[in-house]
Amino acid sequence: MFRRFLLAILLPAVMATSASAAEKISVACNPTWPPMELLDDNKQIVGFDVDMIHAICKEVGLEAEFRNVAWDGIFAGVAAGSYDLVASGVTITPERQKAFLFTEPYYNVSQIIVMQNGQSAKGFEDLKGKKVGGQIGTTGVFVAQKCGVEFTLREYDDVGLAMQDLVNGRIDAVVCDSPVALYYANKKEGFSDVLTVAFRTEANEHLGFVAKKENKDLIEKLNKGLAAIRANGVEAALKKKWLGD
Amino acid sequence: MNEENQNNMPAGVVAAEGKIEVPAGGIKLSEERKDSVINAWTLALVGAVASLTILCTVWPDPYLDVLAFLPGGLVITFQVTILSILCAIPLGLITGLGRLSKNRVINLIASTYVEVIRGIPLLVQIFYIYYALAKFLQVSGLTSAVIAISFCYGAYMGEVFRAGIMAVNKGQTEAARSLGFNKVQTMMYVILPQALRTIVPPVGNECIAMLKDTSLVSVMAMPDLMQFGRSYAAKTYLYFETYTIIALIYLIITLLLSKGVSILEGRLNYYDKRK
Repeated sequence: MFRRFLLAILLPAVMATSASAAEKISVACNPTWPPMELLDDNKQIVGFDVDMIHAICKEVGLEAEFRNVAWDGIFAGVAAGSYDLVASGVTITPERQKAFLFTEPYYNVSQIIVMQNGQSAKGFEDLKGKKVGGQIGTTGVFVAQKCGVEFTLREYDDVGLAMQDLVNGRIDAVVCDSPVALYYANKKEGFSDVLTVAFRTEANEHLGFVAKKENKDLIEKLNKGLAAIRANGVEAALKKKWLGD
Repeated sequence: MNEENQNNMPAGVVAAEGKIEVPAGGIKLSEERKDSVINAWTLALVGAVASLTILCTVWPDPYLDVLAFLPGGLVITFQVTILSILCAIPLGLITGLGRLSKNRVINLIASTYVEVIRGIPLLVQIFYIYYALAKFLQVSGLTSAVIAISFCYGAYMGEVFRAGIMAVNKGQTEAARSLGFNKVQTMMYVILPQALRTIVPPVGNECIAMLKDTSLVSVMAMPDLMQFGRSYAAKTYLYFETYTIIALIYLIITLLLSKGVSILEGRLNYYDKRK
């Protein structure tokens, strides 16, 4: 276990030194969060975040190289400088802002609770005494922890495993970001026909790209790029392509 | 006689009697080795407890907060470990006996089990039992964890039991059989009690390894010590602090357990000391 962690820490560090040439930036991403980021059939990382970063980088003369990083170590890696940026559907929270720099928000999400067809809940209080799953270290889990209702919260390594356990009937609900929940409930084969959206939270969360505190230049550049693709309509096209809105 | 003394008489007895009857080299060596083991153990335990105490008193925020968050996870960690040990030891004994069996079918089954399980990483087995088999059979996280870990360690322990039983002199079997013990009696009353002395230390080590490997069950969203730590680190971004505390807690538990094993080992060697 510890060897795995060592490898996870050292490997990106070694790779980062070779990748930090001129105009290249390395971007960490946890591709278990469809449609924001996922692995396609050729094991390439694709998704809304990926296209956004490529489009932004093109505007400001950077080149992004994506790397597959486990979610629960993704912030440790950017803090340690293993990569320059995290683009993985990260919600801007005050806690995270204390530790990291964020770009301007590029998308708004809420939390959605997914349940099996035929099950229903109008709010967290309806989930009292039930088993609720989520991905470890995500805002869905944080919201569930803070809601003050007594239920068993199970934190999975990735949301796909939580959804699988929901389909298998081991847990009663899964909480995650709205695009991901909608993807599983409406689109994903093998899941969409058994899962349904139970309810969504009101509070809107804003997603941003994350860099370490010292990396102000990069964030400024990306903000410029973000403004540019917002102005020329590229962002809207990407939203339509991946998120259908 | 002289040779037997050299092998079996512990250093402590010699020192207590105040005279050395056998060549000093052999005894000196074992004495030194024993001392250094105790020292390393004490050093590690004192070091771990001291660092934990210092960290928590000097910087209560965040270290004490981390420590206060974790006990919930210990329950699951111990639960999984103890249940797995209770299942793995009988499984190991049966496997070990099976591997030694002259019945070809039993022997083949036991050997195949060992070969198959030894060849699959524990993490893969956990995923397999919890996520892959869920298609046909749904078991809870705790059950999956206990099944995966005890099946895995049952195979390793089978080899330990086999080696321990084989290490008992063949003459013991022959003597018991000629005194009219049947095969089962020979194994239960003569061979196994003697084999136990060889078996206990490695089995103890396997149990300690088992405790450490329970950290793998966090992939099934089981709230064990590791999962609690990961959850805390993911929320607070205090990776260094959280994993330092987790490492220290695992270390302290493991050191205490290894002390338990060595005490047990000493008890089983009681008759060696008395000689």
